[in-house]
Amino acid sequence: MDRAIIVDNLVKNFEVTEKEPGLTGAIKSLVSPKKKEVHALKGVSFTIQPGELVGFIGPNGAGKTTTLKTLSGLLYPTSGFVEVLEFDPWERKPEFLKQISLVMGQKNQLWWDLPAIETFELNKAIYEIPTHFYQENLKELVELLDLEKLLETPVRKLSLGQRMRMELTAALLHKPKVLFLDEPTIGLDLIAQQKMRDFIYNYNSKYGATILLTSHNMDDLVDLARRVIVINEGHILFDGALEELVTKYAKEKIIKATLSKEDGIADIEKIGKVKKLAFPQVILSVPRAACAVAASELLQNFPVDDLTIEEIPIEDVIRKAFKSGLKK
Amino acid sequence: MKKYWGIFRISFQQEFAYRLNFILWRVRNVFQILLTYFLWSTVFAGPGTQIFGYDRAKILTYIFGIMIVRALVFSSRAMDVSRDIAQGDLSNYLLKPLSYLKYWFTRDVSSKVLNLIFAAVEFIVLFLILKPPFFFQGNAVALFAFTASIILAIMIYFFILFLISSIPFWTPEIGWGSHFLVTVVIIEALSGALFPINILPQGLQSLIMATPFPYLIYFPVEVYLGNIHGSALMGGLMVALAWTGVLWFGLNFIWQKGLKVYQAIGR
Repeated sequence: MDRAIIVDNLVKNFEVTEKEPGLTGAIKSLVSPKKKEVHALKGVSFTIQPGELVGFIGPNGAGKTTTLKTLSGLLYPTSGFVEVLEFDPWERKPEFLKQISLVMGQKNQLWWDLPAIETFELNKAIYEIPTHFYQENLKELVELLDLEKLLETPVRKLSLGQRMRMELTAALLHKPKVLFLDEPTIGLDLIAQQKMRDFIYNYNSKYGATILLTSHNMDDLVDLARRVIVINEGHILFDGALEELVTKYAKEKIIKATLSKEDGIADIEKIGKVKKLAFPQVILSVPRAACAVAASELLQNFPVDDLTIEEIPIEDVIRKAFKSGLKK
Repeated sequence: MKKYWGIFRISFQQEFAYRLNFILWRVRNVFQILLTYFLWSTVFAGPGTQIFGYDRAKILTYIFGIMIVRALVFSSRAMDVSRDIAQGDLSNYLLKPLSYLKYWFTRDVSSKVLNLIFAAVEFIVLFLILKPPFFFQGNAVALFAFTASIILAIMIYFFILFLISSIPFWTPEIGWGSHFLVTVVIIEALSGALFPINILPQGLQSLIMATPFPYLIYFPVEVYLGNIHGSALMGGLMVALAWTGVLWFGLNFIWQKGLKVYQAIGR
């Protein structure tokens, strides 16, 4: 098997009922419901190799989650071809389901009123995990995610971060070969986010698991994903290395300089586009190719104390990618 | 099979998670029994009173019979299925190597076993206090047929409930409106849970007997009372069995369709 995931020309449409606001709207929609077709995925294609860790980027409603749900067999594709570990996800064969896991930030599988260990035991039975394998696995996950003291606490008494880690444990007890993570760090504080990222990184490198994750959090992607797929309005805009994305969409670089005198400061716009001018600091945006020239000009003609050249922040790059995608 | 035993155990524990709630629910049950008992005792207070061919002993047995059969048949949690579909919690189950239908059936069986244990204890205590003229069925054939009819009733009710709970695949907003209509109005009235079906005119009676509803309460209770035997008994069991099959096939068909339009909403 040289491809863990194959997606070819995947299309998914949803039918939604539209409702006008207010009581009259409610009655109207009851009498003659107005149906609208939403095109969530408009022909998406990509392949993923075993052991890859790929990040999905896109604004809300871009189709990221829809893709993950189709890959894990929850949604029936309108058209197109989908294959995960040589299975058709839609058939939801037990042998397939035992090898995958989908973790959704806001849907939980833990039994609310009971301690998390009960859900774990239940999953052991459902996934038919051999006892020794289960105990080994549980011990490892519990240590890695720092959950020893919380196993006997009813789930409803856990904090969000603790619950998310329990969810992850429940989803990984059967050691899935393919892992779909939907917003794994949503709602977590910075320390918990970092813990989660470390864990995902380790799980991928240690077991060679194929991981597909969606996130709004750029740190997740910069830290974890070597490859990103940018998706917007049901289309793939970019598929490749994160650095490539930066060079493709960031045609400019940022020069930050600290000046010692305010004299002739107005002339600075001849060097590049001024993004911010608040003496003593000035921020310029210059074309990538002309960056070195611009920097030396700045050093020669202005009283510069300090100067740095930076890449455009990844968030801005992505925003730009979405904008140019819309123009198409 | 082992996975469903795991579900059985965890559902049992879940029932006890809110102890006070559980106790109050049992207390309510006992009050309901007492109220019904005194109501019907008063109606049949005069010696030798007979209404619709039921005397005091028979009607009290019918009432108590209904309560036990109700506790066994109508105690189903499968109503939650509609919420699972509408709110997307169904996704959690679809992701697992597990049959969602069997999952809920197991949870139901677990809740029924719990119900039965407590109902039995309450029944014995109340019986000893009130000493009602209860009719005990001693005929082995009738008892066997009663057991069979109860098992069929449990399956018929489960399938009906599951079918109604599948509506949110197409109209997620439907909520409990359809449940109210079907479970309260239709099932209560047509199953014999409010009054014995045989007090109705003959034509209407045969019409109702062709639907699956009387096989939920009326039929099992009448079988226990020994009012239905011979070919009528066999015929009734056959109709119940046929309905079980029809509903099962219908349910599978609907779910095949429903899962295709399932939107797995909520992230």
